[in-house]
Amino acid sequence: MLDKKTSDQIVADLTSHIKLSMGFKVWMAFLSVSLLVCLYAYFLQLRDGMIVTGLGDYVSWGMYLANFVFFVATSLIGMLISAVLSLLNQKWAAPLARIAEIIALAFAAVAGLVIIMDMGHPERLLNVFIHGRIQSPIVWDVTVVTIYVLISALFLYIPLLPDLKICSEKLTNIPPFARKIYTLLSLNWSGTTEQKNLIKKSTGALSIFIIPVALAIHTVTSWLFANTSRAGWDSTIFGPYFVIGAFVAGTAAVVVAMFVFRKAFNLEEYITDFHFDKIGKLLVLVSLLYLYFNINEYMVPAYKMKHADAFHIQTLFTGSYAPLFWATQILGLILPIILLILKPMRKPLPLLIISIFVILGAWFKRYIIVVPTMEHPFLPVQNVPINFKVYSPTLIEIGVTIAPMIMAVLIITILSKVIPVIPIHETLEHRNEQEK
Amino acid sequence: MTTNQKYNQFIAFLIFSFVINASLSSRNWKAPDDQKDKNSYIKFDASTAAQGEAIYNANCASCHGNPGKNNALKSLNPIPPDLSSTASQSLTDGELIYILNNGAGLMPSFKNSLGEEKEWMVISYLRGFNKNYIQELSKFDPAKSKLVKLVSSFDKASNSIIVNATADEKNGKIAIVGAEISVFVKRYFGNFQIEKALKTDASGLAKFSFPTDLPGNKNGDLEVLVKLYDENYGEVQVTKTYSIGVPTDKPGLNEDRAIWNTLVKAPLWIIGLYATGLISFLLLLAFLLNNLRGIFNSKV
Amino acid sequence: MSEQSKKPNDKSRRDFLQNIGMAGVGTLLGGAAVWAGFNYDSKKTAKQRIKVLTAENKLVEIEKDAILDIEKSPAQQLTYLQQRGRDGLEGKRFVMVIDLSKCQNARKCMQACQEAHHLRPEQHHINVLKMQETATTQPYYMPKPCQHCDNPPCTAVCPVDATFKRQDGIVLIDNERCIGCRFCMAACPYSARLFHWQEPLFSEQDKDLVYDVEQNVPQRRGTISKCLFSADKLREGKQPSCVSACPNGVYYFGDENEDVVTNGTTKESFRFRKLLADNGGYTLMPELGTKPRVYYLPPKGKTSPFQEKDKEEAAEHFHG
Repeated sequence: MLDKKTSDQIVADLTSHIKLSMGFKVWMAFLSVSLLVCLYAYFLQLRDGMIVTGLGDYVSWGMYLANFVFFVATSLIGMLISAVLSLLNQKWAAPLARIAEIIALAFAAVAGLVIIMDMGHPERLLNVFIHGRIQSPIVWDVTVVTIYVLISALFLYIPLLPDLKICSEKLTNIPPFARKIYTLLSLNWSGTTEQKNLIKKSTGALSIFIIPVALAIHTVTSWLFANTSRAGWDSTIFGPYFVIGAFVAGTAAVVVAMFVFRKAFNLEEYITDFHFDKIGKLLVLVSLLYLYFNINEYMVPAYKMKHADAFHIQTLFTGSYAPLFWATQILGLILPIILLILKPMRKPLPLLIISIFVILGAWFKRYIIVVPTMEHPFLPVQNVPINFKVYSPTLIEIGVTIAPMIMAVLIITILSKVIPVIPIHETLEHRNEQEK
Repeated sequence: MTTNQKYNQFIAFLIFSFVINASLSSRNWKAPDDQKDKNSYIKFDASTAAQGEAIYNANCASCHGNPGKNNALKSLNPIPPDLSSTASQSLTDGELIYILNNGAGLMPSFKNSLGEEKEWMVISYLRGFNKNYIQELSKFDPAKSKLVKLVSSFDKASNSIIVNATADEKNGKIAIVGAEISVFVKRYFGNFQIEKALKTDASGLAKFSFPTDLPGNKNGDLEVLVKLYDENYGEVQVTKTYSIGVPTDKPGLNEDRAIWNTLVKAPLWIIGLYATGLISFLLLLAFLLNNLRGIFNSKV
Repeated sequence: MSEQSKKPNDKSRRDFLQNIGMAGVGTLLGGAAVWAGFNYDSKKTAKQRIKVLTAENKLVEIEKDAILDIEKSPAQQLTYLQQRGRDGLEGKRFVMVIDLSKCQNARKCMQACQEAHHLRPEQHHINVLKMQETATTQPYYMPKPCQHCDNPPCTAVCPVDATFKRQDGIVLIDNERCIGCRFCMAACPYSARLFHWQEPLFSEQDKDLVYDVEQNVPQRRGTISKCLFSADKLREGKQPSCVSACPNGVYYFGDENEDVVTNGTTKESFRFRKLLADNGGYTLMPELGTKPRVYYLPPKGKTSPFQEKDKEEAAEHFHG
């Protein structure tokens, strides 16, 4: 299909979304206003203390931590699509690599903010660098998240060099300063063999190195829980369990981004039903793996029913968290797997709807991992007010939780307005190869 | 609830409390006859009562409440009595100090925590709530305690502390016979008693076999406190340091490298892993930045 | 030809050398960290000691650093108190023994603790729990302070060394450094920690006090607080607030190195190991490997019955 198009047409198609359209302005205004409202909630938390949240001395981690895990999880997709699939020579994923990297960068960068919003003394953040103890999983987390953000940024930037050059040359209706920035950022790209080789070497090194780093960030995040002895967290499979769960959330996020970019930027010829079908299959694959880990994670303690574990399992299966638990498992995991096995369900629209359910399920799954465990520690919860015993998030807390989501969407929106979301250079090369 | 049921419950309650009270009082609240008539050598006055009140508030009020205020700790069984009540005030001074020294029922002994002088002050304070009370002073002369000479020594062969109590009376040095001797080792929060209190024998001696496994300081030093109590001579105590403990020099609990310790005492494997990870990242970063420089400098 | 082919080689050699250089810098940085870790030196300089006259006309010898003169600025005093709090008492290993057979839920310990550390009524450094293991076993009251573990999971996870274990075994928290991440609360299996979600009770009246790590006063919003074994009192040779407030003789406190614990109520002293051996002493959840410094004597031969009104709450936990 692309064979019929000239290079110039392809370039025009793929850069057409780099402009400040009316829709973009309205969307940005909407995001900014919502963000301000949510930041006001955070201001209230700073002013009055964390008493404005529903947290207490027993459930001392709640929605914020669940949100943090969700963000780290979603950011892992960059590694899966750009590195693993490209190393496995899955060419179909190439046009999606940049979308995945944008999502990875946005979510990883915001993940850091999420954790800062959970701190009692955010202004003491520097203490982590001044007095950091490398024995603490939090220091590992800070280290690997920082590294992952840097690596994701480089992974986004290095393959982008040729496209930046194209932008500086081919974009007609942009102000001169913007053109200058594109030129500057393209680092004298002129397509020499040496430059091509250097890019190839760099992306090669990156796609290998990003795998352990990405595995590390989510494994370390899972260790925030698994390194304690609490029922429901004290599990050796938490690392891989979280990583696979991350792939599920991330793949679904990529589906949503694909769908939105395709519609908003008229990319139907570049992101085709074929891509949706393929990524739908990928979603089934990772969801099946996740289901396997879920069975593992709940089967083993449920079989033994050790005192504290039994309490935890009962709360989830039949107790106060049962509705939420079964909703996430069935609507967010089992039904999507069944539906996505059917080919018609992997068409763009049904896949989008299923993916939204998967994302919601993924978020609430993290909530279910964090909160119920904290509600039943080893020793009885006594002599405290009722709001210490049962956790229910407050409105302010929900606002503070939504803020980073808006920020992530904001970053994705802005990036999608300044760089081509489909790699132009690679698309052209791919076409040229086919012509030969 | 019918009246009948209430009545039955009342009877049951009466029997129950009778049994409880009987079991407690019969065993614990009775001072031996020779203790019953014991009197204070301190004259009770406003000053002793004031000191006694402070001691009372710090040590007794948490259970007994304030006299006459009916604010004793109700969760205890039996409820500690109000000490200004007629029942309490009908006890003799001797009985009161006996209870203070030995405890009663749930009440602990205050012998070690207060000592006799402070106990008398508490009694002085309590007697202020009894208008009919007239103090009978003990005939004991506190000045006599100055005559006492209390000498302790350690006998290696029998591993025991030997205490010799004598008094420098006008008619020469005499052995104090039948005085109560207790030996303590000083510890950080209080004195640890060695064996039980013994009475001095006819030659004023008392022998305490000393434990062989009591930890001392680095050199095995122990500070040994010897107390004498005698009806005539009162209370006398001396301390002396002996090198008879087990030399103990345990390291601090945070000396070793551990996952929970500070950064400088982190386990080596964690330092190694962390440093390796960080260095590999820095190498990669250097490699990538160098590549970018290469791209930038590449000529057509 | 040979000229041209040589050039890239030169270039790559130069690049290679530069790479080596950068790698060198990286290695140096990492190496410095490793070296700092390896080279930890436990040498302690002998503290200078001086004699001073106290208000009670007693001549005592103290460490020279211990003089908090008025001219010292609050910041200097704070640094001094922080350092003192981290050093702890040399040669001591504090232990607590809680005799469950004597506890009657008088709650004087909780009250004294909250007064000493300026806590709200729902904030507990020590909490008397109503416990029952199974439907057929007897319920009992169990005071639960921080266990001051020898393998403390809370300090292991602290990212900033705000909570730490001292040489005398006490686990403390420096609320001037705490970032409020609450990882320690999540890690503690004994639920021994609390967080100041709002302004602490006396934050207004305490605001001019210099912060003492050993008392954790003034308490601070957005930071953790926990049982300190009243480290400030221990320094003076006094027992912790809860221990001396108990009317029922539940608590024994002492130094494991001296092998003696002293009852907080009666001030009677006992051999520590013998007390445990004779009464079947145990620690809470030993299977977790936390090695608590708080020991319990079982509720055998209780002198007072478990109160009827507390039975339901005690049973809640095992029913699940």
